[in-house]
Amino acid sequence: MAVLGANCTVGGPGFFSKVTTVLRSATVLLLLATTCAAARGDEVVDLAAGIDGVIQRRLAAENITPAPVADDAEFLRRVFLDLGGRIPPSTRVRRFLADRDPDKRRKVVDELLDSSLYVVHFSNVWRKALLPETQADPQIRVLVPAFEAWLRQKLTDDTSYAEMVREIVTVPLAATGNPREISGQADRPSPLAFYQAKQIKPENLAASTARTFLGIRIECAQCHDHPFDNWKQSDFWSFAAFFAGMERQGRGGFLAAIREVADRRELEIPGTDTSVGPVFLDGSRPLPTQTRGARKLLADWMITGKNPYFARAAVNRLWSQMFGIGLVDPPDDFTADNPPSHPKLLDLLASEFASHKFDVRHILRSIVASDAYQRTSRQTDPSQQRPRLFSRMAVKGLSPEQIFDSLAQATGYVPAAVDRTPTGPGVPDSVRSEFVELFGDDSSRPTQQRTTILQALALMNGGFVSEATSLDRSRTLTAVVEFPALGTGDRVEALYLAALGRRPGAKRLAGLVAYVDAGGVTKDPAAALADVFWALLNSSEFLLNH
Amino acid sequence: MTPFPGMSRRQWLALAAAGAVTPPASGLFGRIAHAAAASRRRRCILLWMSGGPSQIDTFDMKPGHANGGPFRPIATTVAGLQFSQHLPKLSRQAKHLAVLRSMATREGDHQRATFKMRTGYLPQGPIHYPTLGSLFSKELSDGTSPLPDFVSVAPYRFLSPAAFGPGFLGPEFAPLIVGDTNPVPMDPGAAVDDSQALRVRNLQQPEGIGAARVDARLKLLGQFEADFGAERPDVPVRSHRTAYRQAVKMMRSESVSAFDLDDEPAAIRDAYGRNRFGQGCLLARRLVERGVPFVEVSLNGADAQMQLGWDTHQDNFDTVKRLCSTLDSGWATLLEDLGRRGLLESTLVIWMGEFGRTPKINPNRGRDHFPNAWSTVLAGGGVQGGQAVGRTAADGTEVADRPITTGDLLATVCGALGIDAEKQNVSNVGRPIRLVDPRATVVEGVLG
Repeated sequence: MAVLGANCTVGGPGFFSKVTTVLRSATVLLLLATTCAAARGDEVVDLAAGIDGVIQRRLAAENITPAPVADDAEFLRRVFLDLGGRIPPSTRVRRFLADRDPDKRRKVVDELLDSSLYVVHFSNVWRKALLPETQADPQIRVLVPAFEAWLRQKLTDDTSYAEMVREIVTVPLAATGNPREISGQADRPSPLAFYQAKQIKPENLAASTARTFLGIRIECAQCHDHPFDNWKQSDFWSFAAFFAGMERQGRGGFLAAIREVADRRELEIPGTDTSVGPVFLDGSRPLPTQTRGARKLLADWMITGKNPYFARAAVNRLWSQMFGIGLVDPPDDFTADNPPSHPKLLDLLASEFASHKFDVRHILRSIVASDAYQRTSRQTDPSQQRPRLFSRMAVKGLSPEQIFDSLAQATGYVPAAVDRTPTGPGVPDSVRSEFVELFGDDSSRPTQQRTTILQALALMNGGFVSEATSLDRSRTLTAVVEFPALGTGDRVEALYLAALGRRPGAKRLAGLVAYVDAGGVTKDPAAALADVFWALLNSSEFLLNH
Repeated sequence: MTPFPGMSRRQWLALAAAGAVTPPASGLFGRIAHAAAASRRRRCILLWMSGGPSQIDTFDMKPGHANGGPFRPIATTVAGLQFSQHLPKLSRQAKHLAVLRSMATREGDHQRATFKMRTGYLPQGPIHYPTLGSLFSKELSDGTSPLPDFVSVAPYRFLSPAAFGPGFLGPEFAPLIVGDTNPVPMDPGAAVDDSQALRVRNLQQPEGIGAARVDARLKLLGQFEADFGAERPDVPVRSHRTAYRQAVKMMRSESVSAFDLDDEPAAIRDAYGRNRFGQGCLLARRLVERGVPFVEVSLNGADAQMQLGWDTHQDNFDTVKRLCSTLDSGWATLLEDLGRRGLLESTLVIWMGEFGRTPKINPNRGRDHFPNAWSTVLAGGGVQGGQAVGRTAADGTEVADRPITTGDLLATVCGALGIDAEKQNVSNVGRPIRLVDPRATVVEGVLG
């Protein structure tokens, strides 16, 4: 097991050892394999078999022939993107393809889950789930550094999901409740942005809490009884009453300090004379003897193993993250008329999650070990039409961070100092934040993600790819062109490995070798190699997760 | 085709004329009339008011009533038709405007209402309904324009992203989006140059790469796409192909100069208003002029921030006043400019948000969500302007005459555009879906 440092990605010394990573966060700790040993062992194999059992039975019942398991290159690229947030370095690809160890897939997954790549990537994943507002509201972005720093800390410390949620819901507002102090501060880790993003309003907090942690959209009941489900307007406001005690202190708007009256439990339904006290969504109430803060009681109720929503919502989100489609889909909409595609599988994952102390990595490890996850994305049989049956892997769009970090990986881009903190937007002249902005907005689900004309133009003509494919300035390209004693075929193959993480097929390779040897339009083999690299970086195979 | 089986249209009309039966407020006959107009081909500009604009403070004033608020009505150039005092320029364009004062749409939640108004349907299970721009541009396009058929200026998609996309029509019908980034002024008070935000970047091939080399590269790319796409019929793969094809087409066309607002005289640019919305309206005119069939321009906030600017739960009057000033210059100048260039006849301009605002003023001097009785406006091509259609009660709390549903509005829009509202598209679940909900009827007296 390689020990992963902040300066090198999951890759050993080799052809592209000069490639360094964008990520050099001070909060990243080096983790050894021992930390995950507890969750290893046959439990992973067992759960993966459980997953495949349910999926397989359904496919058989529907007469669907599933696609075969992906080859090593396709698998490696996929797990790197899904767990590490970027494509693998070509050195790692070469090593993986050459490795004869039958257990190598399992091992690379363990390696990734223990790496700083996982910490940073899943910080992004959780931040987007918890603070969807940051995409649209630039004000809230000033609190993102502190929030992401907090997430990275939690992921590095291997804090359980339940504890993370408890900390978010119960973050002390009075003590750390001064947003002005933490704004822009990556060295003041705090989940406070969750409260700020919901404007400290009980109704917003109730809606977000229910939706994010329980998968329930009760917000429709804010104004009227829910059109489909059993939520009444009073249920909504009773749930919101858990957040009744907080208010902004004095002036200062968005960044004003927050004050909390811990024992206030009553909330008035706006536009009525009715006040309601806190009631959990299952209809139970906190006992009068329970004098702890209302938010603490709410957190206790949510994360108890008995809560039917909590674990299901979480594993469904993880499933959706890995497959692009939830078992319940959209993943935060558990309603009677939106049933799960595989109810037994949802139950199985939820109970495993709860019995493994809400260990996210155990669930990820097991999902990734399943045949369902490891299938090729190629459609190999006409019966593989229905994405919700998981007969082949769906093709997913990449997040803006995945696109940028993969481009950086493929081209050997060394970021300016300003881009080394992986906190994203906010820095005006940062190449990375420009990308995040351009590729950022799409809130549609990954399997429906669309390339826009503007994105195509940026990738074809924009400065980043132009530099990466310029013979004077591109690290990867320069290395490939100048490395002595390589045949044209080796050079083309090196570009394929850097961009696509695989070797070209024999026929395609022959065509490209002929193109390069003839020198393309300018009769210059080096320029022709640049053309090949340009086309690879612009290809959907590079720009998508498959 | 009458409400009663076995009765001919002529018999039905005779009865209706005799007062024996009431003709539907907006009718079956209207639908027939607009089907006949399907030979017309028009263009459409949608002015989208994010957050839901207040009808009482704009087009359906209630002077003298406590719900009316502080704004005074002013006369327009059409006798008997009054607008808010904060829409003075628009009041001079009144003869082009049909104000629909009796919208009754039921959805009071931003997400659902936005979806409903922008697709014509409520979100329903797995069906991905397309947004109006995708639906209508598909019908209006003649397929020859090097520019995209649907351009969206400054959309604020956050709350209801699905209401802004092509849905089951697929990526080919997705909008080209410009101006949707938040302005981040570096210095407080520094002006944001909106013409930059509205420009399409990266249209030039990289320096030193000639046209022949671009062709060679695209040929290589085409081979890679064939390798990868052959066995992957997924949306992201198809959309990549479509976007690249459209991008290349644009790179090679002269028409992209439409995005160069600097070509316009300063006086014109000033008249539209030097803000995202005003310059967006100017861009809309330039695009329509070059044959783009559908352009939408969102007004999200008076200060160009991306937000639900019209969502005035607090401080309604100051906010609406500021927004109206932006709206008034942009919209009125657009109508004037289109008219001057002979384009108004062939261009329908729609003004709407997701719902209206409560007549009752809340304790924060705000108005809340109100779908029961509110206003939208149709102007220009195919529309009989200079009138208000429908009526609300004296206190504004309910529709007093001719309730108009979302579907009715959209059927009327189809009529004005010369599109067959009953045309069907095949949805992603294989079920055919009509352009407009089949229960809808064209609002009578609106089509010109």
